[in-house]
Amino acid sequence: MFLFLLLLALSLPALPQGMATGNVPAAARAKFSGLPFPVSFVDVARDAGLTAKFVLGRSDRKQYIVEANGMGVAFLDYNQDGRLDIFLVNGSRFEPFAKGQEPTNHLYRNQGAGKFSDATREAGVARSGWGNGVCAGDFDGDGREDLYVTYRGPNSLYRSQGGGSFEDVAARAGVAGPSEEWSTGCTFLDYDRDGRLDLFVTSYVAFDLKTVPRPGEQAYCLFKDAPVYCGPRGLPFGTVTLYHNRGGGRFEDVSAASGMRKPGGFYAFTAAAADLNGDGWVDIYVACDSTPGLYFRNNRDGTFTELATEAGIAYNEHGAEQAGMGIAIADYNNDGWLDITKTNFIRDYPNVYRNLGKGLYEDAVVAAGLAVNPHYVLWGTALEDFDNDGWRDIFQVGGHVYPEIQKIDPEESYANPRLVYRNLGSGRFEDVSRLAGPGVAARHSSRGAAFGDFDNDGDLDVLVMNMDEPPSLLRNDLKSSHRWLKVKLQGTKSNRSGIGSTVVVHAGGRVQAAPLLSQSSYLSVNDPRLHFGLGAARAADKIVVRWASGAVEEFPGPPANALVLLVEGSREVKILSWPQ
Amino acid sequence: MTAAFALLVFLSQAPDPEALSARALELAQQSRVEEAEKLWRQALAISPNLFSAAFNLGFTLYSQGRHAEAEPYLERAVRAQPKDFNAGYILGAALAQLGRGEDALRQWRAALALRPDHVKLMQIMAVEYGKGRYFREAAAIAERALGLIGDDASIYLVAIKAHQDAGDHPSALRVAERMLRKFPELPRANFEYGYELHRAGRPEQALPYLKKAMESKQPWEEPFFFYGEILLREGRAAEAVAALRQAIELRRDYIAAWVTLARALMRLERYEEAKAELLRAAGIDPRHPQPHLLLSQLYLRLGDEALAVREKELSLRLRRENPQAMESPQSRPFPTQ
Repeated sequence: MFLFLLLLALSLPALPQGMATGNVPAAARAKFSGLPFPVSFVDVARDAGLTAKFVLGRSDRKQYIVEANGMGVAFLDYNQDGRLDIFLVNGSRFEPFAKGQEPTNHLYRNQGAGKFSDATREAGVARSGWGNGVCAGDFDGDGREDLYVTYRGPNSLYRSQGGGSFEDVAARAGVAGPSEEWSTGCTFLDYDRDGRLDLFVTSYVAFDLKTVPRPGEQAYCLFKDAPVYCGPRGLPFGTVTLYHNRGGGRFEDVSAASGMRKPGGFYAFTAAAADLNGDGWVDIYVACDSTPGLYFRNNRDGTFTELATEAGIAYNEHGAEQAGMGIAIADYNNDGWLDITKTNFIRDYPNVYRNLGKGLYEDAVVAAGLAVNPHYVLWGTALEDFDNDGWRDIFQVGGHVYPEIQKIDPEESYANPRLVYRNLGSGRFEDVSRLAGPGVAARHSSRGAAFGDFDNDGDLDVLVMNMDEPPSLLRNDLKSSHRWLKVKLQGTKSNRSGIGSTVVVHAGGRVQAAPLLSQSSYLSVNDPRLHFGLGAARAADKIVVRWASGAVEEFPGPPANALVLLVEGSREVKILSWPQ
Repeated sequence: MTAAFALLVFLSQAPDPEALSARALELAQQSRVEEAEKLWRQALAISPNLFSAAFNLGFTLYSQGRHAEAEPYLERAVRAQPKDFNAGYILGAALAQLGRGEDALRQWRAALALRPDHVKLMQIMAVEYGKGRYFREAAAIAERALGLIGDDASIYLVAIKAHQDAGDHPSALRVAERMLRKFPELPRANFEYGYELHRAGRPEQALPYLKKAMESKQPWEEPFFFYGEILLREGRAAEAVAALRQAIELRRDYIAAWVTLARALMRLERYEEAKAELLRAAGIDPRHPQPHLLLSQLYLRLGDEALAVREKELSLRLRRENPQAMESPQSRPFPTQ
């Protein structure tokens, strides 16, 4: 007889139980509504002539984090012909290029009929380098939109000179930033209500090629035990900078005096400026990678206080840190308050921060039905009404950060389909990606995305930055009788662009609010003409604009299917003609 | 005398190793373990591959928690009798105790090939696979065990845990449903089914099962917590408050329940009550960041921005100092063997 028979049971040590946060499974999907989705996105980029390829390091493997995060894109009407043009920020690589073959930013002029022509060189924006983000605004009040483009290195401020050309005035204006800084997000805003657009810039990490470890050299250079590029965790944190527009084309750095430098310990990406607490002063929200989000509440005296944790927009609903990438701000539940969605890393949910009023939020992502696709790294995003039913839907683009990810984990992939969620109007969304057309189903590793009506047909299209490929231009072929309204703002006391203002449209018994943002999505710029779906309503009942100046102005409701211009203080709605 | 003759004389006088090993076993059964060990070592000195001595010495050392010392004897036993199930089983257990999960699983796989119907081994293998983050393997072997016997609740729990760890909640729900059919009155079965229904986005269906688990004669906190959390998510904050208070009654240091209770009270705009609960929670676990995070939100709502910022900063510092506190609140025991 062996002793084994005396002791039948083995006792192994008790395991600590419980699941760590961060490796979340997909939440269950609610029963599908069964409603048809009348939206079909078709990628028309090649036919439109958008052939410039984005370059960012090697395509098979990234050695450094600067090669991984991609760039922003912009919809803007730079030549004021009524058609949306396209600006693409481009990157670089450490391996040398043949002379004259360096990738540059690209500006594409919309010629109408679905065609674009490359106007980069004639417009004077053919800069090469490690570009990242873009934001738009008329900083000098001359009626023309200007662009600010962020780099690893000095940033560019492209002042529109009229006639379709720009001049880089960043150094002269005092906003180029330190030459060694890696800037990412930016947004124009008029934080002191002087009518001039100031500028807020984020930086991601303090990246030094000489000191950053190589893949696998440190614990923070591993992903699932495989050697990958290092960071952001383990690398020195980034910063934020606020420039005050003094007029005369000059800015001054007021970061310290405004309180912007008080918070630390973040890796900052996209910045969006809007009046989040409804006090009439524009605030700033920043998506931060691997660290809590930032909310700079405007103190109305030239200073800001960082209150993201206090306001409920720093973490997820359980207080866990996330890896924020992109931001969309608008009113998804039609209560008149601005809500926030934020995209995050893989094995995590995005956020749907519901505004409880006065800038106090709670994350409603699970209740909203948006916790069903945690298997993608998500970047660019929008809260826009793609089917014009009067409820804002959600669009997300994604793509993993490691090109070799499938070798590390076969369940993850570098290129992913896009995601579209229909707003069901009850505080809930449903995933309609499979119904949203071939442009959504196509797999790319995408980063920036901009949303606008490039073909002026009354629905919203999507421009997407794809890693190591040309962009996608997803034309929305909407088959619906729903009506719409587009609102263009012109500030008089406020900044000329109207940036930071919130437009509230009352129509068909619904109240919809949307802000005019200088940057959102992921480091990108949307159509400055705010788009509202009206459903079956033949006209809006009224429009209320909460201007960036603090003025609140009511306008009469215009008929549906129109682009209207609202000039601050006029109380008149001007219906604009536009090229179809 | 030649050397060969001398050896012959020695061997004729040396004790029989089998007899030594048998005597050692008798001593061990009389709890005279030290004497038994000595005899087994003597037996192995004479006959290094004597299975009974190697195995029993190895097992005795294992039983005393001397896992590193046990390993070579158990390995010797396995080498001597590769077809012996128990030797492989115990060697695997010793290796697991030494933190060599991969080696343990190798031994156990060989042992399982000898006894393919050994459900207990499948259970401990499922646990070990889970420790090694081989969640799918854990789930597969737990399912195999379930296919062999269906009247042991612990096997169901192992399978549920394995599927949960693998992120396969539909399978976890399926096993929980089977468990409930088999043990309809078992509070834990009701809880697991309710919990998985909750995970499956069927909160209204989950509530009755959680409620039944809450009515257990030996109540524990988690049914009350998840019941309250579901109610809060469903907009029934007042009812959530009652359930969450009961969870806290059952486990005073259940910080997640305190925090969720505070969220429910804040939803009801009962800010002073929420503040009192959060301050109590912070007193119970001063190193936990979450009560302070909620306090920062609460103070902002109460209009005290300075206090809000102070609590935020404290929360952030505690988060850095005590990151494991942020783990999910699940704490109910699952089988560990």
